[in-house]
Amino acid sequence: MTQAAARPPLLARLFAHRWARVLAVLLAVPTLAALALGVWVWQRFAGDVPVEYADIEEHFKYGSTGGERESGFPYWIFQALPQVCAEHLPGKGYASLGMIFEEGKDLPVGMSKRRYTGIDRTFLNCAVCHASTVRDAPDAKPRLYLGMPAANLDIMAFEKFFFGCAKDPKFSAEYIVPEARRLVQAQGGDLDLLDRYLVYPVAVALMRERLLMLAGRFSFVMDQPAWGPGRVDTFNSAKVIFNFPMHRLPDHEKNAPADFPSIWLQQPREGMQLHWDGNNTAVTERNKSAAFGTGTTPPTIDLANIGRIEHWLLTKEPPKYPYPVDAARAARGAALYQEYCAGCHGAGPRDFRGEHVGRVMPIEAIGTDRRRLDSYTYDLAVNQGTLYAGYDWRFKSFRKTHGYANMPLDGLWLRAPYLHNGSVPSLRDLLEPASARPQRFYRGNDVYDPVRVGFVSDVPAYGARRFFAFDTAIPGNANAGHEGPRYGTALAAADKDALVEFLKTF
Amino acid sequence: MAAAATTSGWRWGRILAWLAVLAVFAALAGAYGWYKFFREEPQPDWITSDPEMRFKYGSIGAERDAGIPYWIFYVLPRVFPEKLPGPGGYASLGVSWEQGQELPIGFTKKVVGFPRIGNNCAACHTANYRLGENENPTFVTAGNGHTLNLVAFFRYLVDCAKDPRFNADILMREIELVTDLSLVDRAIYRFILIPITKKRLLEREAQFAWIYHKGFPEWGRGRDDAMNLTKYFMLELPMDQTFGPTDIPSIWNLKKYAAAGTTMNWAGDSHDVYSVIIDSALGLLGAPPKNNAEFLAEVKWLQDYLGNKAPPKYPVPIDAAKAAAGKVVFDATCAECHASDRTARRMPLKAVDTDPERIGTWNKANAIAANKVVAGFGIERKGLVEADLEGYNPPFLDGVWLRAPYLHNGSVPTLRDLLEPPGKRPKVFWRGYDLYDPANVGFVSSGPEAERVGTRHDTAERANSNRGHVFGTELPTAQKDALLEYLKTL
Repeated sequence: MTQAAARPPLLARLFAHRWARVLAVLLAVPTLAALALGVWVWQRFAGDVPVEYADIEEHFKYGSTGGERESGFPYWIFQALPQVCAEHLPGKGYASLGMIFEEGKDLPVGMSKRRYTGIDRTFLNCAVCHASTVRDAPDAKPRLYLGMPAANLDIMAFEKFFFGCAKDPKFSAEYIVPEARRLVQAQGGDLDLLDRYLVYPVAVALMRERLLMLAGRFSFVMDQPAWGPGRVDTFNSAKVIFNFPMHRLPDHEKNAPADFPSIWLQQPREGMQLHWDGNNTAVTERNKSAAFGTGTTPPTIDLANIGRIEHWLLTKEPPKYPYPVDAARAARGAALYQEYCAGCHGAGPRDFRGEHVGRVMPIEAIGTDRRRLDSYTYDLAVNQGTLYAGYDWRFKSFRKTHGYANMPLDGLWLRAPYLHNGSVPSLRDLLEPASARPQRFYRGNDVYDPVRVGFVSDVPAYGARRFFAFDTAIPGNANAGHEGPRYGTALAAADKDALVEFLKTF
Repeated sequence: MAAAATTSGWRWGRILAWLAVLAVFAALAGAYGWYKFFREEPQPDWITSDPEMRFKYGSIGAERDAGIPYWIFYVLPRVFPEKLPGPGGYASLGVSWEQGQELPIGFTKKVVGFPRIGNNCAACHTANYRLGENENPTFVTAGNGHTLNLVAFFRYLVDCAKDPRFNADILMREIELVTDLSLVDRAIYRFILIPITKKRLLEREAQFAWIYHKGFPEWGRGRDDAMNLTKYFMLELPMDQTFGPTDIPSIWNLKKYAAAGTTMNWAGDSHDVYSVIIDSALGLLGAPPKNNAEFLAEVKWLQDYLGNKAPPKYPVPIDAAKAAAGKVVFDATCAECHASDRTARRMPLKAVDTDPERIGTWNKANAIAANKVVAGFGIERKGLVEADLEGYNPPFLDGVWLRAPYLHNGSVPTLRDLLEPPGKRPKVFWRGYDLYDPANVGFVSSGPEAERVGTRHDTAERANSNRGHVFGTELPTAQKDALLEYLKTL
């Protein structure tokens, strides 16, 4: 020890040599440069930052479920595609798919933004399927309602646009990057060299590859008759999570589009049989299942963000009916409601008590189109028990049922068209026997019809705004069932009017 | 000198210190390796504390050597869906799978270093049925797994391993979509578990040669070529040309075999329940038990559970008067073999004259060799009967209503068909559909759904003949009806 202390330190002895000092500098420069590069790369490509909204409604409309991490479209590619692939859209821009744009927003309602792996990404959130607009007249300004079914969103056209575009030779950096740059420049910015020559070209290639893979897995959708706005084949889409070979499905499982539901007032629904066929009784599990549709996977879901929405939806009230209600007529309707409807649909507008409320009614009894029911199979239910394996919230509550669930009717006026497959345009039509319900009508119009209670369904177009011709003869679209004396379809016309008047108050 | 001695002492000290550091590191690395690959965690309480759950999901130790790493098992149906019999993932194999459960019945999850999937007895020995199309299945533990497409499961794993897409890049991509493994676990999967699993599955291919044999028909749902499995896996014999798939049996109420002189299995090839459970469990382990005492304790538990497990009651009302009349017919026509001291005893083939192929799959030399193997593991049991097979044992008929299709090779779909002369029994039918047919006592075996879900059984194909057992086929229709009603009560 004493011997070592007496000698000068090792480094001092070393740096006594000039060559050592030179070498040290020569080594230090590249090391520091590499370190600096590392720090730069890290700050450029690491990080996982969603655009956050303090306001819960803004969060619902534009907040992230985490779907961008796995499934996100690079933001500027998303913005460039409507120009690059214009011929794959039914009209101008994403609005032509029935997506809703609020003034001053760069993304439609139901799309969120997150910076992840060094690139801004965007993807769907809950609001894309659970928010829509209402107009009082064709030229009136639309009012946005959150939590109602996205009655105008054509999700099949959305899928067709992206899959069609990915297969188009124009889905390449050569076409997309200049368009993206033009959009950025129009905002007074620019894509930097790295974005232009590396990040975006790579992103285009990866996105194309991924879309083509998904196009293969979702090709069954392209074989189906058009769902039209406001509908999705939910549980055939769910089979894609497991990569079931869809072309081998038996015919009776196919073609099962169903309406998007309203999602307000979830708290009183806990324990009810949820989904149209009542296949799950756990609200949070149902929510995580729906979140697959927003591109999430078990490792990438943003549970905190989704938790905010879940919490809000527990007590979120549906919007009040905004048109006049004839109180006397509604009072008469209330008595009829108690007699005919309450046992299955709840004692009142916010009173969901009732013997059969939230319970499945056997298909033989309800008699509505059974394709949605048959699309959900026992084999799918048991496979869903493997979802979120390894997490405490592994799915445990999916069950095959054999009928459709009786729903509470809160906010019913915004839930048109009616029946699970949206095959009956208005409440007044639903009170007619199936033979007297419209065989063909138009979906996708947001102008409200306060007389029949539903959206205007007999107008094919307002100028450039064209609506979807819904044909009840197509498989999956039958408007049968929920009929007969017990269902009120044999009541006198005045009684039906009274009942409809009361249902406006829900 | 003194200085030199000090220096040398210092050097030795340093070497020793380094060795000590190395030893500590080696010990730590060893402990870490043991933790990551071999530590065993008990299964959760909900499995181990309930006998039904334990039988359905409890480990018998098969995860150690035959186990598949959990996440590989999880993603295989997503990566290789086209190799399964149909849409539905593992469900398309006809496994009994309860809603809300992570795994089908008979599939066990246990941490041996990492979570692994093995099998237990319940995979084959759980029956399921539905009484109506708008109904979910009822599961009967210890029942005959008549829907399980066992051969398709065997082939599936090998076929996946043979595919060049069974590689770390593709499997890891799929695994990372469903779980968030640590960096170390990712590396373990990528560099160790995926390559080793592929290798181990490929090693099975040679022993499974006969299930790829072009000349043999499909086993179909609900059947198992059990003695050939034993020959090719336990005895590692080369493939011979024998072929004899038989129905997966029910294994409830095993205490009935306590009577002296009874032998087990379709052809009376094993001495007693204890031996059969040991031999079947060893097949699932795929290796000698790690700990004989632990293994035999599990066997004893199974013996006790299955010994006392009651056969299921017929789930539809029975006409008591008709059944009473049927008992008279039964006593006169059936009891001589099925409720007597001939039951579960060896009987020459000519007496029943059913399909002989199963007899050819096993012989005295095989029995001696297999007994030797098990004795070599240090396990004492009465074991396999060291004699050539001569025919089929008349079985006990407890719970016979659920044990369709009938005869040892499942060549007759319903009891009513069995009471017809062979020429009038269905020549082609579909087995493994779970909709019950109370009128004919068996499962629905034709029609669009039975043909979509089930597997085709052609009685003209090898080992599939529906000949023999002509007893009762001459009875008048009314007596047949009464007899069927009585058989429902067993």
